[in-house]
Amino acid sequence: MTTATVKRLRGLAALLGDAMEHGIAAVERLHKGTAARPFAILEWIPPTALPTRVVRVVHDGVSSVVYGIILQGGRLMRKTVSVAFDAAERVAVGTREDDELS
Amino acid sequence: MGSTVEASLAILNGYLGDYLTRTGNGLATGMTFVTKVRNGRTVRLDRASLERAYPAASRRVAVLIHGLMCTEGIWEMRDGSDYGALLERDLGMTPIYVRYNTGLPFAENGASFCRALEALLANYPVPIEEIVLVGHSMGGLVIRSASHVASLQGFRWLRLVRRAIYVGTPHLGAPLERVGRAVTKLLRAVPDPYTRLIADISDLRSAGIKDLGNGLRDPHHPVPLLPEIQHYLVAGSLSDDPWMATLFGDALVPVPSATDGHVDPRRDLIPPRHVRLMSGLGHLTLAHHSDLYPSIRSWCEERQS
Repeated sequence: MTTATVKRLRGLAALLGDAMEHGIAAVERLHKGTAARPFAILEWIPPTALPTRVVRVVHDGVSSVVYGIILQGGRLMRKTVSVAFDAAERVAVGTREDDELS
Repeated sequence: MGSTVEASLAILNGYLGDYLTRTGNGLATGMTFVTKVRNGRTVRLDRASLERAYPAASRRVAVLIHGLMCTEGIWEMRDGSDYGALLERDLGMTPIYVRYNTGLPFAENGASFCRALEALLANYPVPIEEIVLVGHSMGGLVIRSASHVASLQGFRWLRLVRRAIYVGTPHLGAPLERVGRAVTKLLRAVPDPYTRLIADISDLRSAGIKDLGNGLRDPHHPVPLLPEIQHYLVAGSLSDDPWMATLFGDALVPVPSATDGHVDPRRDLIPPRHVRLMSGLGHLTLAHHSDLYPSIRSWCEERQS
């Protein structure tokens, strides 16, 4: 494998990692935004307001923990992949594909 | 396989190139000069590499620079030739193709292109007498930006440029990007997590794409066509109808934008013979159509006043 190929594969892995992190954050925002609607309606009705507030806090807290765990799992995977690329880079050979001007 | 990978990377760079560069991602394309449109080699701009790459270097050089999300492969015609190769065959010019990250702002690519041309001038195997610049789409804006930097900072290569050919270049911007910008703003204003998600995804588009919305008509940063260069403008139009040509042009660039407003006979900044309207041609086809080559050739043969 050439250094240029390793560089690109490492870039691809990094991009997939970035996409995963941004994707998780987007899904979390979407999830909480969607859930906020029924919570807002129920909080507006006096008899259900108090229990809804409690459920909302629990829901948002559990969601944040779950999304956080997924995010950390992803970051761990990224670090593992990065170590693998470091090893691959040590045995890779240079090519003329690196001839960039800037 | 190689060209498929390069083409995929060109699309990725066009959409996310500024992000890739900012994050130091290995998929970011740097600016390189390439020897041929198909299976060409990238060239370092030192004397030895240029001598190896161009053993029969001509004193007249044609530098071709592609547009958004493309590589030098966009210049290739069905028969395998391209404007650069034909200029080499007919006029003895040496064609040099530029590959670059089209997701970066024009100004950044223009500055890189400016430095690259200066290095080319310094290390080219024989003294260069003339540099002809040919830009397709965004490439034309990069040419204007590079020329502007060169004129401000006194780069030597600019004195050798007597003609610049802009093929389907959105000098006055591309309406599709402006529509996209407005739709994204609208979606973001709607208080709904789904429409905001769509707006977020839309906003990921690169600085290069966003720059295309206004072309080079920012009144705060004027990038005028330099009077010391002969400018040649090519516009495509899918329809013969003047209204359709004005509104949609080659599907991406309307005719008034591709001609920088010079289709108006009351404005005589560019002679009419320097403007060519290609009816029935779409935006990408302009980069590799045999009907356009005779005009490019005659412009390159035209004696300078």
